[in-house]
Amino acid sequence: MQKPELIKDGKRLDGRDFEELRPLKIVAGIIKNATGSAYLEWGNNKVLAAVYGPKEVLPKHLADPEKAIVKCRYAMAPFSSLEEHGRAGPNRRATEISKVTKEVFENLIMLEKFPSTEIDIFIEILQSDGGTRSAGITAAGVALADSGIPIRDIPFAVAGGKIGDKLAIDFNKIEDNYSDADIPIAISPNLDRVLLLQMDGKMTKEEFSRYLDMVERVSKQIISAQKNALLEKYKVNG
Amino acid sequence: MVEIVLPGSKITSGIIKADGTYIENDSTYASVVGIFDEEKRHFIPLEGLWYPKEGDRVVGTIVTRRISVYMVDLNSPYKGIIMTKFEHSRLEEGDIIEATVREFKEFDDAMVVVLTRPKRLFGGVLLNIKPTKVPRVIGKGNTMIDQITQATKCSIIVGLNGTVWLKGGDINLATEAIKTIELQAHVSGLTDKIKNMLEKKGK
Repeated sequence: MQKPELIKDGKRLDGRDFEELRPLKIVAGIIKNATGSAYLEWGNNKVLAAVYGPKEVLPKHLADPEKAIVKCRYAMAPFSSLEEHGRAGPNRRATEISKVTKEVFENLIMLEKFPSTEIDIFIEILQSDGGTRSAGITAAGVALADSGIPIRDIPFAVAGGKIGDKLAIDFNKIEDNYSDADIPIAISPNLDRVLLLQMDGKMTKEEFSRYLDMVERVSKQIISAQKNALLEKYKVNG
Repeated sequence: MVEIVLPGSKITSGIIKADGTYIENDSTYASVVGIFDEEKRHFIPLEGLWYPKEGDRVVGTIVTRRISVYMVDLNSPYKGIIMTKFEHSRLEEGDIIEATVREFKEFDDAMVVVLTRPKRLFGGVLLNIKPTKVPRVIGKGNTMIDQITQATKCSIIVGLNGTVWLKGGDINLATEAIKTIELQAHVSGLTDKIKNMLEKKGK
């Protein structure tokens, strides 16, 4: 298939600048049955995240007497996408994303406070338009903060990369599919640590460090959306 | 100044020991959403879970009876147990009890909350609230809970695990009041607000 033109007149297809995020909106605490939850809209991505627990580990042999275990389920709703990703049930891609997301949160939750228990994180993609794993992690971070489970930091994630010789942030689906490099990255802003880093494609060392600078510049917007979501919850009630 | 802090943000340089915080490089950081009072140097968690401590008074339901123990549901990741050899009261499955935590320990490959001095509560309904809001529902020197009891003529027992037992009187109004406190626990002047609400709706 022929590669579509991704840059027109110095702008991206949806009219954004290279360093411009899609509109981001997060609401915390919308699922009452869950310990914590969040709903996120990031451009055309629509994501629900819910956290349950800590609770008894099932099956029992997985329990760790020293700390809690984290289980994570990333899933795309069958209606979430126009293309192949939206099949019902687990698949290779969903299993991989569940695993990397789990590892992000294993590094942040204070697991040692809850020995022999499990914490479940559910990320459900209702509508997808590129960068859903980053959207999922960003939403799940808010859901965890909403739950009251002690965490060292609220992580955020974003995906971007290289289109031709230009660097761009927050890819949508078409950019994701046809870009020269696609790099999802999850960062813990206060601990200043990278928790997830994946790359699809090629990039030079110098471009990569420029990409990291770009992530740092846009991070403020994502973090403030997460903060507002949590603060809003208390404003409405007060 | 009082402000809401989020997990991961630095509360202050220097060490404050409180639930919902952690210490790194001689600074204190929040691990849950909470309120920090800079003058009093006091951190109050707004979200959080119950950590069983010796002497905590809890409310729970008997789930099963085994040969030597009763298993108790405490609305927490940990099961409560009552050793039958120390306690002589006869309890049945489904009974609601009020009890005191004796210890929190490992038993039968799991962490359990060992309860003592169970008191059976007859009838009534249970309501679960967030454990961090329990001090607010009780109020300073029981002011809040006394006020609700007086206005609704409802017997109320609040367990530190976040389970509330209510019986008699205007249960709906009492439930509404407790739910309101849970939602607005961070608002100041809540006792008066609840007083107004009870007066208005109690008639």
